[in-house]
Amino acid sequence: MDRWKQYVWFLGLVVVSLAAGLWGFSATGGALPWAKRSARTLQEGVREGGGAVVDFGRGVVVAGPIRNGGTMAEFVGLVVAFAVVGVGLYVYVDRYRGLDDERAARRP
Amino acid sequence: MAHIHLGEGSFPLWALALWTALGVVLVGFVVDRVRRGGIETRQIALAGIGGAASFAVFQLNVPVWGGVHMNLTALVGILAGPLLGTLIALVVNVFSAALGHGAVGLLGANTLVNASEAIVAYYAFRALLRLDWDAFPASASAATLGLFVGSVLMGAIIVVSGVNGSALPRADLTVAVAGLVGLNLGVAVVEGVLTGFVVQFLASVRPDLVGLGSRRESEESAGVTA
Repeated sequence: MDRWKQYVWFLGLVVVSLAAGLWGFSATGGALPWAKRSARTLQEGVREGGGAVVDFGRGVVVAGPIRNGGTMAEFVGLVVAFAVVGVGLYVYVDRYRGLDDERAARRP
Repeated sequence: MAHIHLGEGSFPLWALALWTALGVVLVGFVVDRVRRGGIETRQIALAGIGGAASFAVFQLNVPVWGGVHMNLTALVGILAGPLLGTLIALVVNVFSAALGHGAVGLLGANTLVNASEAIVAYYAFRALLRLDWDAFPASASAATLGLFVGSVLMGAIIVVSGVNGSALPRADLTVAVAGLVGLNLGVAVVEGVLTGFVVQFLASVRPDLVGLGSRRESEESAGVTA
């Protein structure tokens, strides 16, 4: 498919998705964190609200249940453990990347 | 970013049993397929790194749309495949619930939602590549589509189950859930574009990792020889 047609399709998807997002944003209470928005909307129904769609002043924060639940150390520990295992697997696989070919060659 | 953020006891018992049973069937099917078919070694590496990134990003609220988190499940599905993508969705949800982010009782439902994102994104990406799409529009569109399906499934699970303690009639609950699904679509497109950039980058430096050619070919084209 022509490249320009690919991007027209993709732009259409972006426009439709952003329009749906803006409607959902205002219909479910405006600028609210997801957990609060979800709980309130499911209990009380749609309720119009406003506020900034992008609020850099809020910054990137760890999810409320972890931040307020006192499990930050466990969260950081898990992320480090996952990262070490992930990178370890990558190095292992990169070093032994011929394994698949050898196995395939050995098959009758 | 679809994820059911309700506390324990929010769904009736029959709904918990239903979604948990369906989740067990899906994971059982995936494990059986992995045992029979095996896994390519490149997928193991991608699954490890994808799982780590998905878990970390899952817990971070970004300051758009009031404060939402991304999942990277579509990216994981595209890179690691639908089978490992489903297993990563389960692992990420188990560890998230263990930290208090998501109810333990909703593990089945949330695994179904996130696995659907990985599965749909993978097959949509492959289908678009077969139509000769470039890596960026194919992966960004596939990820957005996968996340859209996950959001709709999340909404359907909530509407079918009903929410304990909510006085909303089913019709009003459906409208409320539609608002949440709509917002999720706005997040999906942001995550879709991010996924597109990552896949485009990988396609340019290691096309073999995204199934677009062999490593030897990419090294030779870059002038790298043994």
